[in-house]
Amino acid sequence: MFTSIKYVLTENLQNIHRIRSIAKYEILADMRDSKLGVFWNFANPVIQVLTYWFVFGYVFNRKDVGEIPYLVWMLGGMVVWFFVSPCITDGCNAVFRKVDVITKMKFPVSILPMTVVLEKLFDHVCLMIILVVVFAAQGFYPSWHWLGLVYYLLCTIIFSVSLSLTTSVLNMLARDTRKLILACMRMLLYLTPILWNIEKVGYGLVSKIISCNPIYYLVQGYRDCFFYHRGFLAYSWSMAWFWGFTAVLFFFGSYMMYKFKTRFIDLI
Amino acid sequence: MEQETAIQFRNVSKIYKLRRKDKGAKKGQKTQYFYALRDISFEIKKGQVLGILGTNGSGKSTMALVLSGIASPDEGEIEVRGEQALVAINTGLNKQLTGLENIQLKGALLGLSKKRVEEIVEGVIEFAEIGDFLYQPVKKYSSGMKSRLGFSINLCLDPDILIIDEALSVGDKGFAAKCLERMRELKETGKTIVFISHSLVQVREFCDTAMWLEGGKMKEFGPIETVCDHYAQYIEYYRSLKKAEKRAEREAKFQGRIIESKKVSLFERLFG
Repeated sequence: MFTSIKYVLTENLQNIHRIRSIAKYEILADMRDSKLGVFWNFANPVIQVLTYWFVFGYVFNRKDVGEIPYLVWMLGGMVVWFFVSPCITDGCNAVFRKVDVITKMKFPVSILPMTVVLEKLFDHVCLMIILVVVFAAQGFYPSWHWLGLVYYLLCTIIFSVSLSLTTSVLNMLARDTRKLILACMRMLLYLTPILWNIEKVGYGLVSKIISCNPIYYLVQGYRDCFFYHRGFLAYSWSMAWFWGFTAVLFFFGSYMMYKFKTRFIDLI
Repeated sequence: MEQETAIQFRNVSKIYKLRRKDKGAKKGQKTQYFYALRDISFEIKKGQVLGILGTNGSGKSTMALVLSGIASPDEGEIEVRGEQALVAINTGLNKQLTGLENIQLKGALLGLSKKRVEEIVEGVIEFAEIGDFLYQPVKKYSSGMKSRLGFSINLCLDPDILIIDEALSVGDKGFAAKCLERMRELKETGKTIVFISHSLVQVREFCDTAMWLEGGKMKEFGPIETVCDHYAQYIEYYRSLKKAEKRAEREAKFQGRIIESKKVSLFERLFG
């Protein structure tokens, strides 16, 4: 158990240059592919946010949440979702998409989830820039509370990597994993209180179950840094649950990676 | 002087699973297990140059994967001293990126440090003869040019054991000669090289020991001249066979590699 954790950690730490290069050139190749390049990294999330805002904010006429305009409130949570969601869907494909490399080279497979997350981090930074502009236009300016975002960003990265470690190996065993995840992602978006406020479902059992979603901890954390400023300790239960969940995922993912590290070639 | 062992195989076998996914397959027929390599034992000393010969489908490429540590054997043991590297030509090249970016990317993929990549860039450009195409995306390269680029990056690695699988079939004669020249230099520096090829001429010229694989088994292992002569004789013999006889021989070889199916559940694969 501990050997596998040590194996994954050392492999990731020893190959920082490799991880950075793969992510960098992956982004670069993607930009070269299109004429407008980096423009799409900005345009894509903007279009999606506008769609959700149109449907839920305008057509369904959502009221302000507390004193915060719906668009701002939604964007504050959506920004994490737009980071986590591609990390999950592409993360489970992390090993499979590099099949030609791992079958032809001696390659530290366990770094692949990290490369995907790092690649998506670039899009996240792009969206953060848009967010700052939109917030400023609505009268929400960055403050020192925003420093908490660093902690929540770290949480998101660790969570995504841990999950991808598990799913990417499962995806090699059976490609159905990816199909299952893709099918579940839409559901997960609506089950996570991103587009709606958790207070709407009351404070009963449903609310408890929904708060168990580790992604909700991240959404909640981002919003806390933007609007509520309650600090980390206000969510100590969610925090404990989130880290427990992530740790289990990480242990299991590392165990699988270690176990299958030389077996991937037989699984294609 | 007794030399150090570089690679030792003890009764190594590699088993592949064959699955029928078409509709016609009956239930029991669906999964078969197949010996890609069967019960192979040998030893290479440090600084030796081994040539691996064999017809198509005899297990040469599997051998390369097992030798380089990418695939692990299902039975038997392997002992390797030093770091191995398999020369992979087109792997890791990205069509959208320029030649220079690809050198950096592939260098990183192969695990070189940033500094080391900077050092080899010059040499790679020189060796690959890409010239002005350096700043063009690789999708515009001719196939020979692409292979030259990939191959050159590999040759700038500095492993203890170099495994080359059919790599010299790329590029024109001039480039092949240049590669052989470079490999000879590596040989002088005392590197262990495993050279896998169809080309008897190149193997004879370059290697000092040879292994002949046939149907996943090691048919012969020994000094280069003897093994090459026997292999050439076999090729002649096989060529002289009639079509039906050829098929019969292939069939016999294939059946010899099949093992009775064994059941492994998903649970065992995960936790066994």
